[in-house]
Amino acid sequence: MDDDKIKIKTDSLCFFYQNRRILENITARFAENSITAIVGPSGTGKSTLLMTLNRLWESIPGTRIEGKVEIRFDGRFHDIYARSYPVTQLRRAVGMVFQIPNPLPMSIYKNIAFPLKLAGYRDKNQVAGEVEEALKQAYLWDEVKDRLEEDAFALSGGQQQRLCIARALVLKPDILLLDEPTSSLDATSGKMIEELLLSLKNRCTILVVSHYLDQVRRIADTVAEVSDSGLSFQTFGSRRSCY
Amino acid sequence: MKKGFETAAEKMFLLSALLSVLVTLLILGFMVILGLPLMKGGHFFSLLTQGWSPRHDLYGIYPMMMGTLAIACLGVAFAFPLSLGCASLVSVLAKGRFAWFLRKAVQMMTGIPTVIYGFVGIFLLVPLIRELLMGGSGMCVLSASVMLAILISPTMILFFTDSFDRVPKSYTDAADALGGTGVQKLVYVILPCSRKGILTGLILAVGRAFGDTLIALMLAGNAIQIPGSFSDSARTLTAHIALVIAADYESLEFRSVFACGIVLYLFTTLTVLLLRASENR
Repeated sequence: MDDDKIKIKTDSLCFFYQNRRILENITARFAENSITAIVGPSGTGKSTLLMTLNRLWESIPGTRIEGKVEIRFDGRFHDIYARSYPVTQLRRAVGMVFQIPNPLPMSIYKNIAFPLKLAGYRDKNQVAGEVEEALKQAYLWDEVKDRLEEDAFALSGGQQQRLCIARALVLKPDILLLDEPTSSLDATSGKMIEELLLSLKNRCTILVVSHYLDQVRRIADTVAEVSDSGLSFQTFGSRRSCY
Repeated sequence: MKKGFETAAEKMFLLSALLSVLVTLLILGFMVILGLPLMKGGHFFSLLTQGWSPRHDLYGIYPMMMGTLAIACLGVAFAFPLSLGCASLVSVLAKGRFAWFLRKAVQMMTGIPTVIYGFVGIFLLVPLIRELLMGGSGMCVLSASVMLAILISPTMILFFTDSFDRVPKSYTDAADALGGTGVQKLVYVILPCSRKGILTGLILAVGRAFGDTLIALMLAGNAIQIPGSFSDSARTLTAHIALVIAADYESLEFRSVFACGIVLYLFTTLTVLLLRASENR
């Protein structure tokens, strides 16, 4: 793969939890503007792999990593574990969506505006514009535009998950990490999220952990299988033309 | 069989709950009955507004009420931000060993007897404040309230850390994953979610500050006067009860301690009700 098509590089990445090795020697390249599905049996570290890309594991006591993770921002690769690289900046560029939708206990509008508040946006009109755009991108605007002040927990599970995706999108991240985003949802809501991911591909590089093989076949350009011996890639021929 | 056990257990718990309510009411009743001679003379309310001058047959507890208010309020005012900050460190901002050490230290502090705090106050805090204020004995409102703050903080800190720790991980994960700093996570997510726990900790602390006897007795100087500044000596209602009971038995002076008791009781009840009301708003 050419360097300018690569978004994320990992080299000899190992992850330890209390001296137990969870990830073993992961050397991988993830292509820009593509959907990579991460599959594999439970307990092999799929979610952990995602967390090494936004450093979210750092709040878990007893964990450490070895190896290198580099992400290309503005045409240049950055070592995201370099001391000089601020973790908040990283997380604003690498959005994450969790298995169980996790809206915050506030209104729909405030949920989406929350990352902007964290990033220090002050201009109310700009915030309103960004919120609307993110909700539209997540196919949620039409359903919630008249009830933005309602509590986010009043939404259905599928809507909550799209809300979380919108919240991750509002900062215009380069990369979107999703950890089994449809596993707590019914089939229809799941399908909606799949379509949404396909539509986001030209904006973001997407990594999604999934247990459903048919889902993987529907959306993924590349499948990365995590096993005890590392990561093995398989590219779907029919979708190769995408990049 | 199992059902019988369930009902029996339920009854037991109900009984102990009723008992604790009963004890509280009995204490109030006891104080009212013993303070009755004061009230009968119609001068209960004048007791609350008058000064204390046994030579002129004046047994008013107004100066003590002011002393209690000053020391307790100041103590809570010092302790609340201190506790909030310490709890934030312990449960959110500090990491690894330091957080662990801090938590253990606070837990240990809750077990230290009050008299030890008083002792430390006399030998460390009082001389320090005497130097700082440049004059007086150092036994004053400021000394007592600072020490009181240190006394009531550990309990408050434990309550706060408990409620911070109970904020669902999904919320804190959201703040982390969206690029929030530790302080942002604390201010925008954890504190708003822990309002109830913070209020409970505060209520307990206020109750303890009003009720504490030993710190004020040892450090406030016990002069019967309305404190006009931090450096004035003052006597609290609780210290007054302790001092009078130690010296006297069957006089009008002695009766005044029941008025003190009733006033303390009402103070505490009123604060709890006020805080509860502000919570429900």
